[in-house]
Amino acid sequence: MKQFRKMVYPYLIWSTVMIAVPMLLILLYAFTSEGNTVTRFLFSLKNFKRFLTDKTFLDVLLRSLRIAVETTVICVLLGYPTAYVIAKYTEKVKMRWVLIITLPTWINMLVRTYAWTGILQEDGVINSILGAFGIRPVAFMYTDFAVILGMVYNFLPFMVIQIYTSLTKMDYSLIEAASDLGANPRKCFTKVTLPLSMPGVISGITLVFLPSVSSFCIPRMLGGGSYVMVGTIIESQFLTAGDWNFGSAISLIMAIIIMISMYITRKVDKGEKMEGATQS
Amino acid sequence: MKKKNILIAAVMALFVFCMAGCGSKEKLKIYLPGEYMSDDLIPNFEKKYNVKVDVELFDSNEMMYTKVMAGGKYDVLIPSDYMIERLIKEDYLQKLDTSKLTNYSKIVSDIKKAPYNGYDPEAAYSVPYFWGTVGIVYNSETVPSAEVEGKGFGIMKDTKYAGKIYMYDSERDSFMIAFKDLGYSMNTSDENEIMAAYDWLVELNTTMSPTTVTDEVIDGMAQGRKDLAIVYSGDAAYILSENEKMRYYTPSYGTNVWVDAMVIPQNAANVDLAYKFIDYVISYDAAMSNTEAVGYASVNSDVLAEVTKEGGMYDGNEAYIPRTGYDKDEVFTDNEFLRKKLSELWIKVKASQ
Repeated sequence: MKQFRKMVYPYLIWSTVMIAVPMLLILLYAFTSEGNTVTRFLFSLKNFKRFLTDKTFLDVLLRSLRIAVETTVICVLLGYPTAYVIAKYTEKVKMRWVLIITLPTWINMLVRTYAWTGILQEDGVINSILGAFGIRPVAFMYTDFAVILGMVYNFLPFMVIQIYTSLTKMDYSLIEAASDLGANPRKCFTKVTLPLSMPGVISGITLVFLPSVSSFCIPRMLGGGSYVMVGTIIESQFLTAGDWNFGSAISLIMAIIIMISMYITRKVDKGEKMEGATQS
Repeated sequence: MKKKNILIAAVMALFVFCMAGCGSKEKLKIYLPGEYMSDDLIPNFEKKYNVKVDVELFDSNEMMYTKVMAGGKYDVLIPSDYMIERLIKEDYLQKLDTSKLTNYSKIVSDIKKAPYNGYDPEAAYSVPYFWGTVGIVYNSETVPSAEVEGKGFGIMKDTKYAGKIYMYDSERDSFMIAFKDLGYSMNTSDENEIMAAYDWLVELNTTMSPTTVTDEVIDGMAQGRKDLAIVYSGDAAYILSENEKMRYYTPSYGTNVWVDAMVIPQNAANVDLAYKFIDYVISYDAAMSNTEAVGYASVNSDVLAEVTKEGGMYDGNEAYIPRTGYDKDEVFTDNEFLRKKLSELWIKVKASQ
């Protein structure tokens, strides 16, 4: 194995240049002020203070977290049964279903999201159908509903595939053993299947929560120009306001929040396992 | 061994071939706002001079500024007046030799006069591209003309129309309508006036549930989805030509008049071709197809006369020709204090909805 050790170097260089250096730059920008050219350092906590002491920004932060949590919960509720049903089929049918689930991701995300604007518009597809039944146009666009719909639509495949993978990897003889010992199907599911598929659910939650809490293009397209989320503020600080220091500080705050929430999710997962172990 | 040599030779040949292929045509890189040029202008220019043009689009002047300052290199930029003023101040643009432009004498004389030319008084750095005003487009069937004329931009805060208005997603233009409605100059440096305008906009956002968009306003109003919208005159001209119920109004207490112009950065790679491009854009044929497609007022006086004469494409279109010689109208000037204040407040205005 030793002779392969050298092969790690390209990856190390890659991750240093592409991950570590940008992170360090964000750290540097977040704690300094005065301009985007790093010629002199003026260390300050001004950027953090500005974000954390302003009610408007904190409201935006709360809204982003709420939208992300709602998106994630809906994805779990829709994704788990889907994955469960798919995992029951024969190998051939399974592959077909997985293909169908991942099919939309072949098309660019922006294009797919843009299509929703045509569907949800006041004179769009849904409202035309409603109109045919004499129902007045409903304002779908530029609402929480539209944004959450867009996010669930875009991120659901990640959830389904994660749960599906953990369900298919599961040892089916455990369920047989459980029912041999007298567990009814419901008990089999809650005591065997669900705990064993939790790693899939957890990584699914990670894959859905992370992009939805920081997304800026879906809120922009389906929520309109004044539907502000944290991702939108960060984007505007870098692209239009040109205040990279403030933008970096918000990115850092978000990174910390995400790390904490990931840590809690892991803890909850482990805690459940421990509990299961002591009960049995 | 021999095999390896052949492989190397093949790779080298491919490399040389690619170099030759890529270098055969001169390249021009331009950076301009979205939905702001007729689709056939670039292909025609490419054909005429046998060159390749790379086009990049921006959403706002501020976005363009951030990108070029972060090291983006272009041969021609098309920013707005106040941004050009800032770029001149920061010594980013080249001085232009207008004698190299054969069509320069055709530029409409109104734009060369105050207040329009404030950003570049000697016309030393820029060649106008389009010009216009900012006003209100309203549906004349649902909104009485007298009401719009009486209230000016204040009608955007009339709760009768809550949920039926489009605001334009730009800090400069949104603050401009607030300043004008409050009776201040749009170039104020007075902190109290700026905060009053901020409150004006927050109140609008919390009471009117506006839909804040950029180019979506064009289709939205042409389809009649809302009753009122803040629109640039050129987009308004297009909307009016598509939907006859729509009308355009510029408030009597004045509005913003503006010029967008072509400039060449000092770090441009292909200056000669940039001159050719600018000259081509203001030539009769190109300017004609451009104004017909986009709807903004042409800077070429012959074209302007042609499309507004009886039977011309924009004959009777009240939004097409910008208001001139009205002393309550103002152009934006570059003002560092105001600029910083607005970018700080704007995200909060948007988040207040």
